[in-house]
Amino acid sequence: MNPLSWLFRRRAIDRDLDAEIRNHFRMAIKERIEGGEDPESARLAAINEFGNVLQAKEAARAVWRGGAVAMVTDVWQDVRFGTRMLIKNPGFSLVVIAVLTLGIAGNAAIFSLFKGLALKPLPGVRESSAIAVMLSRTSSGRHTGMSHPDYRYMKEHDQAFADLAGSIMIFASVGLGSDATRSVAELVTGDYFQALGVGAQLGRTLQQSDDVAQGQHPIAVIGDGLWRRSYGADPNVIGKTLYLNGQPLTIVGVADPEFRGTVVSMVVDVFVPIMMQPVVFPPGRLDQRNAMMMMTAGHLKPGVTITEAAAQTRVLAAQLDASEPIPNFASRATVIPIWQSPYGAQTYWLPAIGLLGGMGLLILLVVCANVANLVLVRGVSRRGELAVRLALGASRRRLLRLLFVENLVLAIPGALGGVALASFILPFIGSSAASSAPTQVYLDTSVDGYVLAFALGLSCACALVFGFVPALKTSRVDLITLMNDISPRMATRGMMRSALVVSQVAVSLVLLIGAGLVLRSYSAARHADGGFNSQNVTALAIDLQTSGYDEARGLELVNRFLDAAQTEPAFESATLASNVPLSLVDNASRAVTIEGYAPRADEDLSFLFNVVSPDYFRTLKIPLLAGRDFTRTDDKNATPAVIVNETLARRMWQTPEDAIGKRLKTATGDWRSIVGVARDLKYSRLSEEPRPFVYYPLLQNYMPTLIVHARSIGDSASALRRVRDHVQKLNPSIPIVRSMMLSEQTRVALSVYELAAGALTMFGVMTIVLAAIGIYGLVAYTVQQSTQEIGIRMAIGANRMDVLWDFLRRGAMLAGIGAVIGLVLAAAASGAIRSLLYGVGARDAIAFGGGTLVVMSIAIVASMVPAWRASRTDPLSALRHQ
Amino acid sequence: MEQKHYRPRLEILQGTLDMLILQTLQWGPTHGYAIGQTIRTESAESLKIETGSLYPALHRLERQGWVKSDWRLTEANQRAKFYRLTPKGKKQLLQERDRWSQLVSAIGTILNPKRSRG
Repeated sequence: MNPLSWLFRRRAIDRDLDAEIRNHFRMAIKERIEGGEDPESARLAAINEFGNVLQAKEAARAVWRGGAVAMVTDVWQDVRFGTRMLIKNPGFSLVVIAVLTLGIAGNAAIFSLFKGLALKPLPGVRESSAIAVMLSRTSSGRHTGMSHPDYRYMKEHDQAFADLAGSIMIFASVGLGSDATRSVAELVTGDYFQALGVGAQLGRTLQQSDDVAQGQHPIAVIGDGLWRRSYGADPNVIGKTLYLNGQPLTIVGVADPEFRGTVVSMVVDVFVPIMMQPVVFPPGRLDQRNAMMMMTAGHLKPGVTITEAAAQTRVLAAQLDASEPIPNFASRATVIPIWQSPYGAQTYWLPAIGLLGGMGLLILLVVCANVANLVLVRGVSRRGELAVRLALGASRRRLLRLLFVENLVLAIPGALGGVALASFILPFIGSSAASSAPTQVYLDTSVDGYVLAFALGLSCACALVFGFVPALKTSRVDLITLMNDISPRMATRGMMRSALVVSQVAVSLVLLIGAGLVLRSYSAARHADGGFNSQNVTALAIDLQTSGYDEARGLELVNRFLDAAQTEPAFESATLASNVPLSLVDNASRAVTIEGYAPRADEDLSFLFNVVSPDYFRTLKIPLLAGRDFTRTDDKNATPAVIVNETLARRMWQTPEDAIGKRLKTATGDWRSIVGVARDLKYSRLSEEPRPFVYYPLLQNYMPTLIVHARSIGDSASALRRVRDHVQKLNPSIPIVRSMMLSEQTRVALSVYELAAGALTMFGVMTIVLAAIGIYGLVAYTVQQSTQEIGIRMAIGANRMDVLWDFLRRGAMLAGIGAVIGLVLAAAASGAIRSLLYGVGARDAIAFGGGTLVVMSIAIVASMVPAWRASRTDPLSALRHQ
Repeated sequence: MEQKHYRPRLEILQGTLDMLILQTLQWGPTHGYAIGQTIRTESAESLKIETGSLYPALHRLERQGWVKSDWRLTEANQRAKFYRLTPKGKKQLLQERDRWSQLVSAIGTILNPKRSRG
């Protein structure tokens, strides 16, 4: 009989068997009665002779079962039993599922981020996680791009890649004049779209025929985002003209909707043939072997691993080195997986994900510990049932499977709830991150099959962790011992429970202290003095390079702007600079030689700098500690000037006054005299240490991309409009790539604190709630176990307060131990986030003290409830309790 | 939980029980209760098996194809499930008897050594 037909005939077999055994008994009893026994003793004797009826029936049934099908029906039976138990204990079940939902939601959200960065990094591209990237490596180990001639050589001779597309990513202005916006564009090779498996939803993609001659292919494919934003999804967009950095291109297609380019998390709006590079992003560099500007991406041939590809590429690179060497490069071509590429969000997000993931798993462990406690309590009350099952013939393995399935029945709704919660909160996290980004950002953090599988796997692991250990213990019950025992003091079990609660308290204290530190940093940062005054100051970015301005014309424009700004009544003062302060990332630095100063062997005289026009310090209200600001006379005809900041001045010449008149120079250029010393600013982050900084005068050192700072009277909208008008009056086609107030830039710097504070607070609150539940459960359990004892003590004279105090003290003591451990851990670990903190020490007393206070008060409240109930016991009924 | 319960009956190995059942069925088809009675009487009351263990054994034998069952009326006009030996079962019985004899003689040789060891 095969397993399938057994399923259908199961009932018939059962009925058969029942009848068969009933007949047996009938005949046995009849024969005994005929032999002279009375009916009752005949029946007992027949039963005695038979042995265990249930066991015999089970054994007979088991003969007919196939292996796998039997397991399935058994498991189904367990599932039904587990579901029934779940419904019968709604309080317990809801708490467990709710707690699991929270724990898994956090982890699912973090996993979604990871998925967007590493598992599905390039939406719309086939098998994007398997993409390999060919890059060069400098002598300091840093990966950077390849030159165009090198790329063509590699592509021609390479054997490891099935396809290898190349591209250059640029920030460019799309549109003309005041309508120009800053976007990301990729200049791509002819096989780009084919290699990535991306098509066009309208028109066509770029092809090999568009990759022939430099400057001869003035066409573009636009991305879905740009199509919808700027063209309203117009189906007649093909053939229209698009201006990229002021150059006209004909639109030939719109790319597939999910595709967003090959830089992880960046949304590329325009795809242009790489042969147009000299036109849209001059000067032409396609023939220069030292212009390492190209990224590449492709799929390896089936069966080729990254290591093999890297080895082959190294050989080819060596051949190329022999004929066309370039200095400073350890390897001009090597192959790495896309998640290691320095281009894209994964470089700075993946390490953060690691940290977040670790935290999330820690929370989940706390959750499991909590649930394990609850399950243990429930397990204790089920010992009777389990012992009976064992006596009826269930094998221990069967019992363990039952307990595991029951825990799964709890864990799986937790997983589904967690995924649902994660999909709810992810958009909020995503939108807050995107709003602070300068260009369009996109990560595929949708909750899909990967995330669901992860959540389910995690929940099964949880079921194992919190179900297995208690299950192991409860499966060792023995019916006889159980029946003879009244209320055993499970000393070892109590130890484990206490340890779990203590660890929960410790972890929640660590998280709350972290949250406290970051929150205090945040409030300090909000009132921080970055060293400059950003009130009513604009930060409008213009790009002179793409409008075809060379140095002479550019400087002339700057002068004309400064003239016009002086006559504008609404402007208190105006200036131009190449960088904004608090820029979050360090901009470039330049190596400097200081007259009369020989640097030590390990001293690095490379300083950050900004190129500023006259009136910079006045506009941003940065005090000058010595000397003067740049003036209009500091131009090409005057002595080269320079201004340094206080840290640099004091480092080299002890006082700011002594620095005036001293000279320094850069690698290229003449000696400059220091004409002024400015007070320090925060140049990238609010929490940075003071460091040396140099200001070069714009009129002597032209920079094509500039920020216009105008301190104006009136509201920000009118201020920005006025600046815009002035710029456009000078030349209407100058692209204004960004238009915001300087105070907004400061706000972006704070957003990091906001995010960290929010995350830590959320985690901290979650764990303290869990710890409170844990303490409550433990004290309540102890009370229940000691009911008789309480009765005795009350009977011999203890009053209610004594009882209350006794149990309260137990809970508080556990919490106290946990708090001490938490404090030690927090003190040790807080050094790790010192770089984030602002205005507070890593051992800040208020954060540590406040956190401890919160934890202890919650613990005491949690112990109070069962302790109070204990004090209310009626001694008589307690004494009778068993 | 390794407690030993007092078992007043002889523990019979599963294979041996199978053999006894097959042997009993050689004398014609019967039902489970009768098989148990037969084993008891034929062994002169010394083999009192747990009659419950007969039923799993019977079902096992049926699954192997050595016996076949069907419902019939007993002499007392009661419905009962009768088992009968199949040709395969007969062959199996002969094999088991063979093996049993070999086992018995081997054990006998050890217990009653015919020659002394030098």
